[in-house]
Amino acid sequence: MSSLKAHLSEEDRHRIADGTMDEERRAAIDAHLASCWNCKSDVAHLTKTMPSLRHASEPTAPLDELWAEIHERIEQGKIVSLGKEPPEATPTPAPQKKRFSWLWLAPIGVAAGVVIALFALPGKRGAEDRQATAMVADTGTTLVSVVDSSYAYEREAQVLLDKLELQRALLRPEAAQALDRDLHVVDVAIAELKDAVARDPANPALRQLLAASYRQKVDLLKRASNAG
Amino acid sequence: MARHTLKVALLVVAFSAPTAAAAQTPQDMPVLAARRVSPTFAITLWNPAGHVRLVAWDLDSLVIRGRVDASQKFMFGAGENGVKSAIEGRVVGTEPKPSELAVWVPRRSRVTVRTESADIEGVDVTGSFYTVSGAIRVSGTATSVEAESMKGNLDLNANVPWLRAKTGEGHLLLRGRPQDVDASTITGTLDIATATVLRGQFTSVSGDIHYAGAPPSGAILEFSNHGGGVDLLLPAAASGVFALSSVSGIIENSLPGVRPAAAPRAMRITLGRGDASITVRTFKGAIRLRPQ
Repeated sequence: MSSLKAHLSEEDRHRIADGTMDEERRAAIDAHLASCWNCKSDVAHLTKTMPSLRHASEPTAPLDELWAEIHERIEQGKIVSLGKEPPEATPTPAPQKKRFSWLWLAPIGVAAGVVIALFALPGKRGAEDRQATAMVADTGTTLVSVVDSSYAYEREAQVLLDKLELQRALLRPEAAQALDRDLHVVDVAIAELKDAVARDPANPALRQLLAASYRQKVDLLKRASNAG
Repeated sequence: MARHTLKVALLVVAFSAPTAAAAQTPQDMPVLAARRVSPTFAITLWNPAGHVRLVAWDLDSLVIRGRVDASQKFMFGAGENGVKSAIEGRVVGTEPKPSELAVWVPRRSRVTVRTESADIEGVDVTGSFYTVSGAIRVSGTATSVEAESMKGNLDLNANVPWLRAKTGEGHLLLRGRPQDVDASTITGTLDIATATVLRGQFTSVSGDIHYAGAPPSGAILEFSNHGGGVDLLLPAAASGVFALSSVSGIIENSLPGVRPAAAPRAMRITLGRGDASITVRTFKGAIRLRPQ
């Protein structure tokens, strides 16, 4: 602020209130305060507010000093501590005991594998079919990942839609209308793209556009959640 | 081309015009809260209607000034490293009364602001801004900015390494000096009036996308649109490999002296030394390359 005919800036007011104004500038500020009732009363109010709050939160420690605590917390979360010497080795047969217990678990694991294979086979087969379709469409690896991202986005969109249905009552009408309008636009685009993919499954650009549209839908649903 | 440049310029001027709320001197408003805070503290703010202005400064203090309607209540809660503040008291089923807030925060702090219809303005502030129908305007320098509106306009004019911006039917204007950008609209127009983006993903469903500038060397930019067009206005010095494809839209190249490698519904153009990589995909929107 070059001319003190104008009102004081927020920073000037604040520095006066908390006593951090440098001496050089102080005189000019004091002169202004002597003639400006508006700034004077505001600074007085700030001064009154600040001291009671000044001690409420002391400045935190510098970043370097925080490291010891962070390191300790990381170490606590570890299963095996890395930075320390291992406990003194003893000739006890503890490792052998551990290996023995794993051997016991092996037949149980095989049995569990058989059960999982029996019950989860249809779902697995479905996933393979899906993957196979992708491979038929284009043998390129890029395409497979794009197809996968479409499915991933589709699943995520469905989860978000289900969640949104529960929250819909809490949405303001304006937000709900905007959301429905945008959802309709995106769904129409997705329908057009799905139709185009069905007619031309070997076109990678279509699949990329479809993935982009699903991503738009996911973003839109997340946005609705953030706005609510 | 000149008409488009003029349009972008007018939009920039329109966005720069101060709103009625912003025209008020924030210092004229009474102090609602003031507090010393940690330089990296976090603040979450909720103001349904009106205007929120946030400014970062070099003091380790938080000051909130504002005018709150008599029917509303200003709530403020503070912990060691965080502050929550909200305007509450709206009667269910009625429109919220507008409140004006001006907030000063330490430069390294992080803000999260949510509004329904209130406009949000941030200067040198790092953080996330969410609104249903309000406009969001960000300027200055920040570490990261995330701006989302269901239907409001976004004007992002910041020097920021990481930026995410999304709106539905609002207009999204990107300028300043962002580097890593993910910007999208549903039906709104997306204008990119900056040439500093190194990693950029620009998406729309039916809004037009306009990019004006020379992509920097090494930049990777992706434009994707379903029904809207993608216009790239490039200066003579632009250098990059442009891979353009559209399922049923037209692809137009008006750049003088450029011979594209063309296939049905696809075009590949190398400008200069091909320093940047630009991919454009549309379903039925037109793709246009024009000289700036």
